[in-house]
Amino acid sequence: MTPVLTAHVRRFAYDDGPAAVRDVHLALERGALVAVLGASGSGKSTLAKIIAGWALQGGHARFSGTLELAPGPRGAGGRLDFAGGHDDPRLQLGAWGERVAYAPQRAGDLLTGAAASVGEELAFSLEQRGIERGEMRDRVRRGARAVGLEDLLDRHPGRLSGGEQRRLALGCALVERPDVVVLDEPSASLDAAGAEALVELVARLRGGGATVVVFATGVDALVRHADRCLLLDGGTVAAEGTLDDVFASAAFAESGVVPQAREREPGCPMVGAEVPATGVPLAELERVTFAYAPRRSGRSARTVLDGASVAVHAGQVIALTGPNGAGKSTALRHFAGLARPSSGTVRIGGSDIAGVPAGRVAATVGTLFQDPRDQLFERTALREVSFGLGALGLAGEAARSRAFEALDAVGLAQRADVHPYELAASEQRLVALATVLARRPRVLLLDEPTVGLDGRALARLDAAVTGAAQAGSAVVLSTHAIAWARRMSHQVLALDGGRFVGA
Amino acid sequence: MWLAVLAASAGAAAAGRVLGKVAAAASIVVVPFALWAFVIHGLFFPEGRAVLAALGPARVTAEGLAYAGGIVLRTAALVVVMLAFSTWVEVPVLRAALVRRGVPAQLGYVLATALGLASTVAERLERIREAQEARGLIVRQSLGGRFVAARLQVVPLVLQLVDEAGERAAALEARGQALPGRRTSYVDEPDSRAQRTLRWVLATASLAVVLSVVVPAVAGVLGGGR
Repeated sequence: MTPVLTAHVRRFAYDDGPAAVRDVHLALERGALVAVLGASGSGKSTLAKIIAGWALQGGHARFSGTLELAPGPRGAGGRLDFAGGHDDPRLQLGAWGERVAYAPQRAGDLLTGAAASVGEELAFSLEQRGIERGEMRDRVRRGARAVGLEDLLDRHPGRLSGGEQRRLALGCALVERPDVVVLDEPSASLDAAGAEALVELVARLRGGGATVVVFATGVDALVRHADRCLLLDGGTVAAEGTLDDVFASAAFAESGVVPQAREREPGCPMVGAEVPATGVPLAELERVTFAYAPRRSGRSARTVLDGASVAVHAGQVIALTGPNGAGKSTALRHFAGLARPSSGTVRIGGSDIAGVPAGRVAATVGTLFQDPRDQLFERTALREVSFGLGALGLAGEAARSRAFEALDAVGLAQRADVHPYELAASEQRLVALATVLARRPRVLLLDEPTVGLDGRALARLDAAVTGAAQAGSAVVLSTHAIAWARRMSHQVLALDGGRFVGA
Repeated sequence: MWLAVLAASAGAAAAGRVLGKVAAAASIVVVPFALWAFVIHGLFFPEGRAVLAALGPARVTAEGLAYAGGIVLRTAALVVVMLAFSTWVEVPVLRAALVRRGVPAQLGYVLATALGLASTVAERLERIREAQEARGLIVRQSLGGRFVAARLQVVPLVLQLVDEAGERAAALEARGQALPGRRTSYVDEPDSRAQRTLRWVLATASLAVVLSVVVPAVAGVLGGGR
């Protein structure tokens, strides 16, 4: 059977840098599901971008290899040979993208930034190809239904939660009915229903003849359906074959890829036995209600928290779960003083924080945001971690050594002088975590901390959470990784209808 | 005339239920400008004859005040018209209207993002400020406090926007923005016979005004030259 897409990467680098990917050969057959696994820095996302054509744009790519697309009903196909020189052929990304769709690791990167609604965002590529409005609306509706966004067609993309934005990016990639779908960490930030729907969606796409390539740092439900697997390490193939072949290889054990999620062994949580909830809670929401104001007049406010109450004591780890858009991040923002309740009380260390500036609350509360890039704004990782330590009474050498210590705790001491934007997504999350750890907060808030982390990074995160709890901090985390949450917390709560209930 | 334009655009803004936003945004631009204009022209206007008050070299003259009032009014009218339009307009509908009239898709996109830039920048600044607050930055509610905070946020904002622009360029191209050919639009562009008529009347009236000024002027120049 002729492959629909063949990619042969002899060498790929950005400018004069070292090879990010080398000696990788991928032949994708019609209807196949191929999983490409790799830890942070393995070249996984770069390979995804090469296949999608994105890496070849912008004039910084040094690529020698071949990309070949078989002819099909959507285009004539063809073969492009790259020698890594200036007279290489130019890949027409508009035509390539029509047949090879791509949902990047950072879902927001696929969005136009100009659409005022989810429907418009989904329709963008159809508009560019002159699809008539009737058919366009029909395809947008079906695309939205496929990714579970049919009720949010009128919502502004900027107002979507992290998981909803991931669904939108998937919808945008699929609405054109491509021949090949390249998905980089598609399960990240998806709730359980979303992850299950993704598996079904991929099965339907394959049934329709599409080929799907999924890139991941861990073995999730979608990866387990793959009929072929490629393990990347150091930018090249470390193992290849069926899932069982790859999982059994020595390279897999050493790769840092997260193996299949394990449920907690009963009575053995990593953070230790249940902590008695006595004394004044370190962090508490009491009957907190919060609604997002409508973006345009005439629409009603969206209530997210509705009389929600939860109390976290010293040494306790509480995990919040719930579907995408349930309000987990909003609840964490209340603890940090970044969102204020319309009614109810938020207490930190027993004191009501109404009217206390968030910057002052930060002396006690440390927050890891959902998108690490939202909290990275300095020129180097070290400066990033040092920011704000002065306000805690640490100056000069003391601040520097505290920042180094935090970077070392997340395994990034060697990367202290690198610009945070030049780090891999997984490392960016770890730097963001270091910024929080350096402050040694009594209350630690972690918003989806596991997303995009490989095995090594997860071990660092686990150590940070258990270390904080054992040092007497209260930890509140939100996550969709239920098995991990059960292993790492004393109690798992679900946000349902704006309130916390036992999960 | 300028007062009529100001009143008409304020009336239109009120009808579009955006008067509050427009007034707030316009005052940020117009009030400092008005203060400057009245200080410069109200106090120092060499052509002023009717002196209302004098303090050393500074003389408040009726002509100076009238001149300052005139330019403030003109500026206010232009600012309010622009703000009323950009606040009221639904960017997707505008983009649809441009697409239907054959304006290049890239230009439509640039216009749409330019009109939405203020809110994008505001959202980004807020996120960066929150990240900094979460690490101990205390933002005072005063104008000065906000200014100091904003200074810390500008560099990361620019870096973020530049970084995103690179990725976005690839995303837009992959989604077909640079493809040749006809475009369609997801959003319906509401248009009525009354609106079409009004547009033609306004266009004709504008042309008539221009001609009524230009034709006599040209005729005068030509006639004077003989």
